[in-house]
Amino acid sequence: MSFEPKIVGFLCNWCSYTGADLAGTSRIQYPPNINIIRVMCSARVEPDFVLRALAGGADGVLICGCHPGDCHYSEGNYKAMRRYPLLKTLLKEYGVDNDRVRLEWVSASEGQRFADIVTDMTERVRALGPLRLKTDLQTDRVER
Amino acid sequence: MEKPRIGVFVCNCGTNISHIVDTEAVRAHAQAQPDVVVATSYRYMCSTPGQETIVKAIQEHQLNRVVVAACSPRMHEKTFRGACRHGGINPFLFEMANIREQCSWVHQDRLAATEKAKSLTTAAIHRVRHHRPLNSLSAEMCPTTLVLGGGIAGLTAALELADSSNDVVLVERTDALGGNLARVDLTAPHLDSARDLLTEKLTRIASNPRVTVLLRSELVALSGFVGNFTATIRGPGGNGAGPERQVRVGNVVVATGYQEFDAGRITHYGHGKLPNVVTSFEFEQMLRAGRIETRDGRLPQYAAIIHCVGSRNREFHPYCSRVCCMTALKYAHELKSANPACYVSDIYIDMHAFGKGCEEFYKATSEVKTLFLMFEKNEHPVIRRAGPGEDCDMLIEVNERLSGERIEIPADLVILMVGVEARSDAAEVARLVNISQDREGWFMESHPKLDPVATTTDGIYIAGTCAAPKDIPDSVAQARAAAARILARISKGRIEIDGVFAEVDEDRCSGCRICNELCPYSAIEFDEGKRRSHVIPAACKACGACVAACPSGAITGHHFTAEQIHAQIDGVLA
Repeated sequence: MSFEPKIVGFLCNWCSYTGADLAGTSRIQYPPNINIIRVMCSARVEPDFVLRALAGGADGVLICGCHPGDCHYSEGNYKAMRRYPLLKTLLKEYGVDNDRVRLEWVSASEGQRFADIVTDMTERVRALGPLRLKTDLQTDRVER
Repeated sequence: MEKPRIGVFVCNCGTNISHIVDTEAVRAHAQAQPDVVVATSYRYMCSTPGQETIVKAIQEHQLNRVVVAACSPRMHEKTFRGACRHGGINPFLFEMANIREQCSWVHQDRLAATEKAKSLTTAAIHRVRHHRPLNSLSAEMCPTTLVLGGGIAGLTAALELADSSNDVVLVERTDALGGNLARVDLTAPHLDSARDLLTEKLTRIASNPRVTVLLRSELVALSGFVGNFTATIRGPGGNGAGPERQVRVGNVVVATGYQEFDAGRITHYGHGKLPNVVTSFEFEQMLRAGRIETRDGRLPQYAAIIHCVGSRNREFHPYCSRVCCMTALKYAHELKSANPACYVSDIYIDMHAFGKGCEEFYKATSEVKTLFLMFEKNEHPVIRRAGPGEDCDMLIEVNERLSGERIEIPADLVILMVGVEARSDAAEVARLVNISQDREGWFMESHPKLDPVATTTDGIYIAGTCAAPKDIPDSVAQARAAAARILARISKGRIEIDGVFAEVDEDRCSGCRICNELCPYSAIEFDEGKRRSHVIPAACKACGACVAACPSGAITGHHFTAEQIHAQIDGVLA
């Protein structure tokens, strides 16, 4: 059987989750590989959430927030944006390919854009194959 | 903590979910999970019998946790929280799995969609185990409403609220009330005077002591939350630096209207170059002055009306501006009334006559000998100056669709039906009141069909053409609906704030104050005596930025705790 990647999505409630709902109401199709977890704001996404998902068997993680300037909480997405490069540096140490963890902006009206991002990401992660971590995150996990 | 007793309720949504997702398989899968006492599927979980099923199951099985796998929580979370409350458990001991919008409606492979629905439901079961009861807070609801914009929508909303003995602050940027409607002569299709429609409102506004009208003023800041906003309004003054005043308001109606499309952007229509090519608003000025004439004072023998200027066009705006077709027919009617000998050509793409009385108006106008010419979408008729030998000022070339021929028609006066577009300052307004705009710049409703008046920010309502192109009756209806929503809230006197907010564990707080700076609502205060931070619950909007950033892990984001989200992550990957 061919490899089907598992992707965990963290979507902000106001823009991206609503955008994903709009993809639904508009019947825009995308691969079923993503499972969405709702957070109120992309700023709520702790690096720990991403690590936990990757350690727990996800092959990719997608974080979506409102476009810069559009955040429901004024500037939460900027906080997510500043945190992201640090997370990427850490992930590199674990041998996690760049394409496996993405931060994207999806507004409440961008159902098509959300579907396009998921489709593109699924294809890229499928091409990369299953995630194999350099260090075993399971034993190295930061518990808070 | 008591041992979780979870009930899982899987919705078929008619066939919306069950046509792709095997809901029976999802139910059986849920039933097999630890702590799940009962799992049921039903045709419509949100219906009264559906909700009763939940209430009965809570009581029969002594459930202390509920999961509903159905549509988006944005749709029915409130409904099912209500059912939990009726069943006798705290509404926050509930979680929803979105297996419709984010599953059955976006996937076609039955097997994969069913597996995904199982995953999402499992994740909800994992998460709900960690839910804690939360109690809502209550805060005062300030009965004063801020209305932004003094057009027909803003005036209507203001009157509706003031007539019920509530204070209204009506802020208008320009030096007069009336908005775009004040620029119009007669209104289609009934041909009643815009001036009459407005005078009635303006007289009532002027004589109502409840309404404070602030002209040449604008909102510059809005802080607080529903029921308790503080609006900073800048009054008239030199170079936009007029005196500022602060008003306490409970709700806001945004009714900032539209701007007209700049006809000069379609260069080959020659607006601004050819003296007798005018926009619909310039033509309204002629009608209001009672003189339809060319620039050099002649009575036009040939008049042409061109539709969809800036609308229904891939280069400019893809949408229909909704009001122009009927307005164009009104012009044909007025041109003919003023001069029955005038040849009127109406050059259109499609005639949109969808409103009450509109199709009849179209029929009546076509009977007064207007020449209708249909052109192709994304094409433009070409206007050029007529030669000295012609008996007209200009010639318009149209690729006429119905005859399939290239037709040339004479014109002394060309009226461009300019479309309606979002105001150039709409983004600034959206930012100030914290609402979203769609691709075209229109303000977005909380739900396009079921909640077309509220926005995603509690206490902020939209009315009129700032939300989308609309005619007068639709703007008035939306304004009244917004006012009715606000009245319902004012009449309760207090506002319930749900128990979702952040809380600092003072024992773990190191007093570093990182969270103080991060909070966009200044909802975190620092106690200098204790050297600890704490959250003001009513001001907190639960974004969780502080929760994620606290280096000591001392802040809990209720209902979105690390524990709950971890459980959900583990659940989708189980």
